[in-house]
Amino acid sequence: MDETDISFFKDGFRLDGRRADQLRPVKIEVGVLARADGSCYIEMGGNKVIAAVYGPREVHPRHLQEVTRAIVRYRYNMASFSVEERKRPGPDRRSYELSKVSREALEPVILTTYFPRSVIDVFVEVLQADAGTRTAGINAAAVALADAGIPMKSMISSCAAGKVADTIVLDPMKEEDNFGQADLPIAMTPGGEITLMQMDGGLTREEFHQAVEMAMKGARDIYEIQRNALVDKYSQLEAPAEEVKACE
Amino acid sequence: MSSVISEIRKDFLYNLILKGERADGRGFDQYREISIERDVIKKAEGSALVKLGSSQVLVGVKMQPGEPFSDSPNRGVIITNAELVPLASPDFEPGPPNEVGIELARVVDRGVRESKAVDLEALCIVPGKQVWIIFIDVHILDDCGNILDAASLGAIAALLTTKVPASKFGLGEDYTLPVKDIPIATTAIEFGDVLMFDPGMDEESIANTKLTVISTAEGKICGMQKSGTGTLKQEQIYRIVDIACEKAREIREKFLEV
Amino acid sequence: MDRKVVVPGDLLSEDAKRSGEGTFVKDGRVYSLLYGLANYRDKINVIPLAGKYIPAPGDNVIGVVKDITFSNWIVDINSPYDGLLHISEFPKRIESDEMSKYLRIGSSIMTRVKDVDPTKKVELTLNDRKLGLIKTGQVVEISHTRVPRLIGKGGSMISMLKKEVNCNIFVGQNGRIWVNGGAEDMDLALRTITLIEKEAHTNGLTDRIVDFLKREKGARS
Repeated sequence: MDETDISFFKDGFRLDGRRADQLRPVKIEVGVLARADGSCYIEMGGNKVIAAVYGPREVHPRHLQEVTRAIVRYRYNMASFSVEERKRPGPDRRSYELSKVSREALEPVILTTYFPRSVIDVFVEVLQADAGTRTAGINAAAVALADAGIPMKSMISSCAAGKVADTIVLDPMKEEDNFGQADLPIAMTPGGEITLMQMDGGLTREEFHQAVEMAMKGARDIYEIQRNALVDKYSQLEAPAEEVKACE
Repeated sequence: MSSVISEIRKDFLYNLILKGERADGRGFDQYREISIERDVIKKAEGSALVKLGSSQVLVGVKMQPGEPFSDSPNRGVIITNAELVPLASPDFEPGPPNEVGIELARVVDRGVRESKAVDLEALCIVPGKQVWIIFIDVHILDDCGNILDAASLGAIAALLTTKVPASKFGLGEDYTLPVKDIPIATTAIEFGDVLMFDPGMDEESIANTKLTVISTAEGKICGMQKSGTGTLKQEQIYRIVDIACEKAREIREKFLEV
Repeated sequence: MDRKVVVPGDLLSEDAKRSGEGTFVKDGRVYSLLYGLANYRDKINVIPLAGKYIPAPGDNVIGVVKDITFSNWIVDINSPYDGLLHISEFPKRIESDEMSKYLRIGSSIMTRVKDVDPTKKVELTLNDRKLGLIKTGQVVEISHTRVPRLIGKGGSMISMLKKEVNCNIFVGQNGRIWVNGGAEDMDLALRTITLIEKEAHTNGLTDRIVDFLKREKGARS
């Protein structure tokens, strides 16, 4: 089989030098777009993803309006240049599905009933893809929603676990994703309520439990990074140009 | 967009659940009656009509030679489509597949693909040039809940009856499609901390969360999909997986193994 | 005053009674609903750093007429929800066919939210002498979340500003501010408002604004 042609581990480390249970470097910036109501830029390993939130705002077309709550729309889109072989622009079936599950990963925490008859639009653009774009998109979108002042019961953090060479690994990169034996992306609240759960590949039940534990641990670590990014943005606001004052 | 369910009906179902009951008297992990009719469409290379309670799904398999994908020159190709045609539900609208239809097709596809049910290597005709393309088309006829499990069951049942139409294309004698595994999808909903398998339409419309688990004959998980705007706890997911694998085994043994 | 940056879902208190604006209670504990600044008083309120203006009855707002129907002016009030100004809420009796003579599409008005129904249908009124068509001066837009700082405790900031810059100022809760006065005064007023918006979350804001005004006025004379 072709997946065994690649050796995924060297001296116990992965191709990019990580341990099995280690995340790729994550960088989050809050409020990167001027026109959007909220925005966030994220790098997770080689992924570069930007998320924007508009709204709550008027719904067009009008028949989509809900009388008792805001609707949430999520558009996951890959830039044509984000992958090795140029992607045909526009939505495909994969992006429809990812948009749906990503929206459903976030909607459980959004207080949509605060804004009847309106829409909260979340736009996610994948600028550079390196396995894990949906999890990166959800992480960025959650921060952008907070940045837009949308009331939420909690943040949402997302991370995948995978299986390569019969080993469960956290946050698979491209090679591991392409030739791996399983991929399991999740999203959850910091309290451990799971809002996204997908899986493909092959896992025994024991491996599955191990993968879930690992992905949840990864999501918790990402939550801390999201939170710090939001707090840091505030600290910059806190310090006026003329005189730098400590927080509080 | 799903039909509006009245508050009264919702309260009724909820109160039943609190008493440990379902509207149609089933146990929480009990499936509705399943029937599978194979080879119902003679023009197709393989087909199956699945009834799951009152839900009805027809799956047809067509095959034709075509070009392989450049990254897998020696393998056959599977293309899965689903149509939620307006005759199946007042909530379905005509037009190109919406996200529900696309998600359904992709989860059905995931089960077939990830379980490696079809021996794709055996479908190579001329390496790098010509391979067999399998089109799995899912037609929802009547949506009375849990059409995903029915569609997934229909897909594997149809594949099991598929004859590769080699003679039609001057490629030798027809032969039975090599199928190596029988993936089964089972879906549960969560409502008020209760897990219910094979949800009916009302049950689906009151629940915020659905989890589909696809498992192989070996009892391995080969695909999963959470759907809906609710949340699940880790223990709930583990429990669903445990029951799902067991249910899948029962269904496989009863309906698909000879 | 005890203040702290919080994000949605942060635990604020174990005492459900302290749940204030921008918070929610779950299992007897108080959590934040918003990304913002938590103010710990008797109640804990979270002041958001961003967000759309959601109309509430009694709010003074500045709107722009965007459409006219048989008996309503439809007014953009810088919110996801348009305001409806019914012909009967105009301070004098007019006929339907002459509505556009009084308020045209594009007219800016100082108005008040009369009522908001549960589906966020917003009714406006002009029935108060303070309200009406804006004919002179300028309107600036700031984030509505900064409006409380512009007004100040008990109106302290805004009265100080009015006096210092010698301008008429109408503050819309929707973040739109009308300023009217001499050209130089107006310019200073607008720059001061921008500064207040930018530094709304800093400590000692009032003192800094007083200094700023003193400096600017000193440079002028």
